[in-house]
Amino acid sequence: MITQTDPARVLEPPDGGQPDPDEFVRAAMRWHFSPETGSPYWLERARTLDFDPLTDIRTHADLVHFPNVAAELRDVRVEDLIPRGYGAHPDVVGVFESGGTTGAPKRVVLLRDWMERMLTTSNANLDAHGFPRGANWLGVVPTGPHIVGEFFRRSAATHGTHGFSVDLDPRWVKKLLTRAETNNAGAYAEHVLDQVEFVLRSQDVGVLNITPSLMERAVQREPLVGLINEKVRAIRWGGTELDPDSRHLYRTEIFPDTVMCGNYGSTMILGMAGERPGLPEDSPCVFDPPSPHVTFSVVDPTDLRPVPRGERGQVLVHHVSKSFLLPNNLERDSALRIEPPEGGVGDSVADIRPLETFENETVVEGVY
Amino acid sequence: MRYLDALGTTGPYRARKRTTVPDVTGEELAELSLVPPVFVQHTLATMRAAQPHPPEERITALRRAAELFATSELDGRPLRDHEETVSRAGGIPVSVVRAASTALATRLSEVHHSVRNALPRGAVDDWLDPRTRRGSGVWARRGEVFTVHSAGNHPGTHSIWPEALALGYRVAVRPSRREPFTAHRLVTALRAAGFAEDQVTLLPTPQEQSEALVRGSDLSLVYGGDEVVRGYGNEPHVRTQGPGRSKILITAEQDWREHLDMIVDSVSGHGGTGCVNTTSIFVEGDPTGLASALAERLAAFPSLPPTDEKAVLPVQPLARARAIETHLTRTAEGAGSWLGGTGVAEDLGDGSAVLRPAVHQLDEPKDSRAGVELPFPCAWILPWDRDAGTTPLRDSLVLAAITTDERLVSRLLAEPSIGNVYVGGGHPTCLKEQGLPHDGYLAEFLMRSKSVIRH
Repeated sequence: MITQTDPARVLEPPDGGQPDPDEFVRAAMRWHFSPETGSPYWLERARTLDFDPLTDIRTHADLVHFPNVAAELRDVRVEDLIPRGYGAHPDVVGVFESGGTTGAPKRVVLLRDWMERMLTTSNANLDAHGFPRGANWLGVVPTGPHIVGEFFRRSAATHGTHGFSVDLDPRWVKKLLTRAETNNAGAYAEHVLDQVEFVLRSQDVGVLNITPSLMERAVQREPLVGLINEKVRAIRWGGTELDPDSRHLYRTEIFPDTVMCGNYGSTMILGMAGERPGLPEDSPCVFDPPSPHVTFSVVDPTDLRPVPRGERGQVLVHHVSKSFLLPNNLERDSALRIEPPEGGVGDSVADIRPLETFENETVVEGVY
Repeated sequence: MRYLDALGTTGPYRARKRTTVPDVTGEELAELSLVPPVFVQHTLATMRAAQPHPPEERITALRRAAELFATSELDGRPLRDHEETVSRAGGIPVSVVRAASTALATRLSEVHHSVRNALPRGAVDDWLDPRTRRGSGVWARRGEVFTVHSAGNHPGTHSIWPEALALGYRVAVRPSRREPFTAHRLVTALRAAGFAEDQVTLLPTPQEQSEALVRGSDLSLVYGGDEVVRGYGNEPHVRTQGPGRSKILITAEQDWREHLDMIVDSVSGHGGTGCVNTTSIFVEGDPTGLASALAERLAAFPSLPPTDEKAVLPVQPLARARAIETHLTRTAEGAGSWLGGTGVAEDLGDGSAVLRPAVHQLDEPKDSRAGVELPFPCAWILPWDRDAGTTPLRDSLVLAAITTDERLVSRLLAEPSIGNVYVGGGHPTCLKEQGLPHDGYLAEFLMRSKSVIRH
């Protein structure tokens, strides 16, 4: 029973609207696989699929039939990723790249309508956490090819007032760590914190956006801790996990008058999942995706079936929006599988960690 | 369930993240709290801001801590319970653990004396000493906060770091996750004895986050394998304690039969798990007789659980013991085997295995396998001659030279990579005398001399 509602309308529910997830997926298939609206990349790619997305992908659960095409985004021309339905002059915010942990970076195109939708969701989440509106923001985030920098600027400008930023180059840091050059990685972190201190000393900054590892280094700088306590009212963290013991210490002893909120995002998600507000003190941080556009499932990587609730598995992401389609993308993160909020599709995630590589019992010579 | 809490500057902290500390059979002994890096940084910053106790108070507290460690119930545990737990966790024979507690308490009570052995003759340890009126060296700390990545192979390793407390450092100890009980008891004793919570702390961390202790402190002592030593080797503020690769050299004019007891003890004393236990024995002439005799003596050791009064050999979880066995079998391929050639792990049937002694003979003095140190009595026997010289004897924490050749001893002493030289065969390599340097005096690393002239 193919309903003939305009797919674009289903894909763009009004703010807070939760369309039926299966109807939503069918509308997305019509949008992305119709010659008039789909992207050149997907229209071409559909020819080599062993199923027809228009007729065979009927439900949200069917999305797992898609191959994981994320790796192909290393080579695809970005023009070919834009759905034709956007017309001859799509409103492109920018082209962004993944971190490049596993070789050459993958590319995505950020379209204005999707960015606005993400921002609305994310700003509402910040409100729920008690972030003050209208503050100046300081972002210690990757800019350049990284989408997080763009989201930072736009968040600062819409939720806050002015955005100050200090650049981070995660690719260089990863390279240093791969070479075990911890000293150089440390020197880079200190260089970043020096810049943070300059901004905080001279400017009114109410919201700080930073990574847990840089925040931990900041604790070693007494003047910086003083400045943050004096000026910053809210901290948004992301990039890696912040464990409950660390959060407790920040909230009770280090930054007692500051609210904190985490987010889990990646370039390939084209957005982020915000921390669930009102979690109990001992709970690991739970992230709810902006479903139905971005949905998670936490799966056993060997068969891609969901692990039991509360168990750890690998994070599988479906991005299904008008602007972009990337179903079945297995992220290089593991997480606990958590019940989504009411009306949410798929899973929420908690206690996110980079994938561990399994090692056999090895012997290090010596007695220690 | 027993909880081993972190001991921070605001008292015990039970972390949400904890790890099970099993005994060698896999039975759970305790849950050890693991603190994240920010907890470490915050604790170290608080310790840095604290003033050290005056020297006399430190001495009194160290003496009192020694007494408490050896006689009191700490964290609800009498000493005997504690020793049994250490034995079960580390797989160390209980008699070895008991001897180690006694030695630890003795050293702790004397630490203020032994630390002065490292005081340069031209220096005083208080700038108000009258000698500074005419000008004198004064011994001063190189920093304020000292951190230790401690070892779990033997409780005796904890007798070294309290020297830093005697010298006025604030000390944070990261216990070994395999045997965190000794460090926990010692820090508890030091606090009960008068050291404030901002003077000495216990900060268990996950392995991958242990670097936070080094980063947040002025000076660090780190135990580990070759990789750890390489990783921190070029850092002037880190002292590493790597593999000991202790050795014995017997020259031609000596009869090894007269020294067999000492050789057996060097290889297997204290369970054979120490960096001071002998890894290789170099014999000028034919080493076959010694290899055979040593194997015969070691073969007689019984296979017993660590808590058995008669146990003398270390025990490990079965999987770990098998991994060590496989590593040895691969390494020893082609070597002459006198003992342990067909395997060293003896399954005790309860999930653990005894690591039985091994004796292998190598043909060439320069065979690099002589440096393969494993955490049980495992000896490599090699021929040695004057042409080989000191080269194969390098990289030794302790070298026992059973010889009357004084020129040779002088050359060994001049070799920078040899830590300690015991001459004549009277002392096993695993002997540790109060007040003697272990790998240099720790205080050489912790202190420097500054000129002070008054008026």
